[in-house]
Amino acid sequence: MDYPSRFDVIVIGGGHAGTEAALAAARMGSKTLLLTHNIDTLGQMSCNPAIGGIGKSHLAKEIDALGGAMAMAADHAGIQFRVLNSRKGPAVRGTRAQTDRALYKAFIRNMLENQPSLWLFQQAVDDLLVEQDSIRGVVTQMGVRFYADSVVLTTGTFLGGTIHIGMQNQPGGRAGDPPALALARRLRELPLRIGRLKTGTPPRLDSRSIDFSKLIEQPGDTPLPVMSYLGKVEQHPEQVSCWIAHTNERTHEIIRAGLDRSPMYTGVIEGAGPRYCPSIEDKITRFADKDSHQIFLEPEGLQTREIYPNGISTSLPFDVQLELVRSMAGLENAYIMRPGYAIEYDYLDPRDLKHNLECKHITGLFFAGQINGTTGYEEAGIQGLLAGCNAALRAQGRDSWTPRRDEAYVGVLVDDLITLGTKEPYRMFTSRAEYRLILREDNADMRLTEKGRELGLVDDVRWAAFVAKREAIEQEEQRLSTTWVRPGTPQGDALAAHFNIPLSHEYNLLNLLARPEVDYAGLQQVTGNGLADQLAAEQVEIRTKYAGYIARQQEEIARLRASENIDLPADIDYWSISGLSREIQQKLTDIRPATLGQASRVPGVTPAAISLLMIQLKKRQAGQALESADP
Amino acid sequence: MTYPQDTIAAIATAQGRGGVGIVRVSGSLVTDIATAVCQVRLQPRHARYGSFVDNSGLPLDEGIALFFKGPNSFTGEDVLELQGHGGPVILDLILKRCVELGARLARPGEFSERAFLNDKLDLAQAEAIADLIEASSVQAARNAVRSLQGEFSRHVHELTEQLIELRIHVEAAIDFPEEEIDFLADGQILAKLEAVRNRLADVQNRAGQGALLRDGMNVVIAGRPNAGKSSLLNALAGHEAAIVTDIAGTTRDTLKEHIHIDGMPLHMTDTAGLRQTTDAVEQIGVQRALRAIDQADRILLVVDSNSGEAADPFALWPEFLDQVPPVGKVTLIRNKADLSGEPCAIESFADGHSCISLSAKQGQGIDLLREHLKSCMGYQQTSESTFSARRRHLQALEQASHSLHNAYEQLVHSRAGELVAEDLRMAQQQLGEITGEFSADDLLGRIFSSFCIGK
Repeated sequence: MDYPSRFDVIVIGGGHAGTEAALAAARMGSKTLLLTHNIDTLGQMSCNPAIGGIGKSHLAKEIDALGGAMAMAADHAGIQFRVLNSRKGPAVRGTRAQTDRALYKAFIRNMLENQPSLWLFQQAVDDLLVEQDSIRGVVTQMGVRFYADSVVLTTGTFLGGTIHIGMQNQPGGRAGDPPALALARRLRELPLRIGRLKTGTPPRLDSRSIDFSKLIEQPGDTPLPVMSYLGKVEQHPEQVSCWIAHTNERTHEIIRAGLDRSPMYTGVIEGAGPRYCPSIEDKITRFADKDSHQIFLEPEGLQTREIYPNGISTSLPFDVQLELVRSMAGLENAYIMRPGYAIEYDYLDPRDLKHNLECKHITGLFFAGQINGTTGYEEAGIQGLLAGCNAALRAQGRDSWTPRRDEAYVGVLVDDLITLGTKEPYRMFTSRAEYRLILREDNADMRLTEKGRELGLVDDVRWAAFVAKREAIEQEEQRLSTTWVRPGTPQGDALAAHFNIPLSHEYNLLNLLARPEVDYAGLQQVTGNGLADQLAAEQVEIRTKYAGYIARQQEEIARLRASENIDLPADIDYWSISGLSREIQQKLTDIRPATLGQASRVPGVTPAAISLLMIQLKKRQAGQALESADP
Repeated sequence: MTYPQDTIAAIATAQGRGGVGIVRVSGSLVTDIATAVCQVRLQPRHARYGSFVDNSGLPLDEGIALFFKGPNSFTGEDVLELQGHGGPVILDLILKRCVELGARLARPGEFSERAFLNDKLDLAQAEAIADLIEASSVQAARNAVRSLQGEFSRHVHELTEQLIELRIHVEAAIDFPEEEIDFLADGQILAKLEAVRNRLADVQNRAGQGALLRDGMNVVIAGRPNAGKSSLLNALAGHEAAIVTDIAGTTRDTLKEHIHIDGMPLHMTDTAGLRQTTDAVEQIGVQRALRAIDQADRILLVVDSNSGEAADPFALWPEFLDQVPPVGKVTLIRNKADLSGEPCAIESFADGHSCISLSAKQGQGIDLLREHLKSCMGYQQTSESTFSARRRHLQALEQASHSLHNAYEQLVHSRAGELVAEDLRMAQQQLGEITGEFSADDLLGRIFSSFCIGK
């Protein structure tokens, strides 16, 4: 049957990408339908129970700055919070929240159910309705046809999913859930490049069977951090510790002895897994000289005894899993509640996507999340938000929004994916961002919230808080730059003594703050004046101290901006451009970069090639001008 | 369509020695550069004769400056042409000055490219320009291959590798704080950074010598009045370039002479004798001498071997030493050996300076000096130890060195990992300018293969 009413946007999948996509489109006022095979698993954390960390907190906070759910859910579900890299500088800091799975899921479910303009429907999708290279709608398992202007596909690991434990394997999208096979077949019929990737998850342990006295305790930070810009410590539930165990030589022997029954080492699994999140069998094989590895034991929640041993993801047979877990000090009697497994799944070559995450070959069809070759909740969530936003923009007849590499980590993520493709699951790291000093977790709101408001993603409450913070920062910078201290005055002497610096002449407070010895808290203490809003104060301090570096990066960005603004038409025949090497012609044909800037980031493309492209563009332009001048 | 509007500069005349050499600048900074170099606001399309000055207002050269206001110029942008004397050293100094003022060195064919993009050339010429760029890049590639086989590129590549190795340690410490690999905290990074800095200094040193071989060495003859400086210049030049009299203070201005030794260019500057003087004209001469000394690649410090102060001239002339920080640049010439009777000979000292006894008047020991100058240019060293580096290369090395210095300061003083990382990123980008690649490094890939990482 045809469903009686039509939607603006349909989102397929209810994981982190799907929920952010559906919420974003609905926030923008588009009539949105979220289709999932199981409403009870909406917002499920399929792998480790944590949000944030290096590079990932940057993404979570960008989701937050754009009005998304993830960071707020983490604040309401986080049971241990830490700020990683707190001493290496503000740009590489990463807030990480250990989360209670049940609380997290409940928070997301609640948001979805209370979001105006959003409808949920439980049915697997088997088919896409495509006419003349344009999406029309979807068909569910029981044959219901839903029609919409835009469709966002966020099927995670479910497309053609195969679960491996030892030499046994079975179809599955996640332990306990069926895969999406019909949809996978359908996608392979479309003109898309599909590949296979692999990821894995560790066995889960019963906390009653663990001897914590033999483990190292890892408590959360004090004072307690928050994830969302609107977050409050009072939102956090009860806080608990994580624990650290170690593998030993015997653990490694057990694993080595089991490798002949490992699906990865016997060639059963073909897809590539993430190198930065390797299985334990990978770690001991590739780094054979390392005799011990850290294993983080993370509680899955407050109301459960389940423990997630982070660091022993494995697809070895269950008997080997049991033996290797029990070889570790503190885990001698550990009881495994769920076995670890590896999962292989279909992913779309992201080079078939545009910067708005729309498919190059089928208009109106958007892809987000793990299906694009990424891994991680935050990577999925921000893609979902971007795809949902662009799906809604399309339905509303508005232009796409494509954040640049110098504006947001999501800009880096999407540009990397569609320019370079990926051969392994892609995870965000701060070293992927060339403008790292500008893209900090502390200023995602300053970078994105205004844009989010313009797009319709940011509600009145968030907007008001943002505007107040921005004004406080500006006023404080103004005050500091016009408040002068002189040597020999009581205040001058007090400051000199407090920071142990000589005051040779008159300074304003902003100049003083720029000096390495001086901090904002100290200025506030000595002068008795300053911002009560800690986050605004932090912005003032970072902006002042990093002014030189930030200015230099901004110059670099401005220099490159010009070529970023030159579009490369989709129909350029690179083979006809003389002077380009065959290798460069091939690469540009494969990737079809959208702008000259993107072309320059394709590996192997030289400055001379960029010059030739520029001339080619000019020729086309002149040619078109001549044509249109013809009567 | 808008195109990149940064300012480019290049030597527009053919490499080598000509009567006139032209440095051409195009882009938005041209007006500022013109005003700074010529010290006046130039009228568009008016030829103006005057000095081209350095950052302290001292003349680098004299010549004609031409300013074309965009779009009425070759490239369609503001264009400045500085027509000076043809020598590569002088042109290089002028170019360097433009770069100091914000221009970047142009790629081959880039002026024509801009002309085309700004509608200054018609469509029919597009192919020709494309061919030009292709040819230039082929030429550049050929040059690159040539130097790829050469020592210079090998050294730059090794240096880059060493820098990447350092960067993967820093980036690993930043992106994987929960792994047991915090190199920032354990002093490993500092040791590696020092090693990279030393390596870079070594490459800079060698590359500098390579540039000397190609563009020539600035040699300044300095000393007390009437020590025989002008005689020495004449002896080396093989003709009477300087007026030689026995009246102390005859050379009141600096005198320049270009000579070749076995085909290698030397730019000789004879200077006024260094002494306290009340003569206004001579005072100016002394000032100019000191300035020439400041810019010299090598200083021949001439003393009369018969005079008392010849025993230890350095100790007697502290004001001179103030002007010449690296004593290794100095060759002490004990002139008039025919009168003092000491044998013509060369001696090297531990602090890096050398001493040659000779007689300029009699031509005795001049061969020793010639050989010595050749060896100073790296001529006698094995060919592996020097390389032909262009100005672009030297500039890139200099910038990279500056970035590494900043990284060191950050690491030692503020221990801010992300700023160390940023300065190292800059350094690698600057070295990448030499190899002409957009840097597409796979730092993460290297991290994963070097360290055991992953939860």
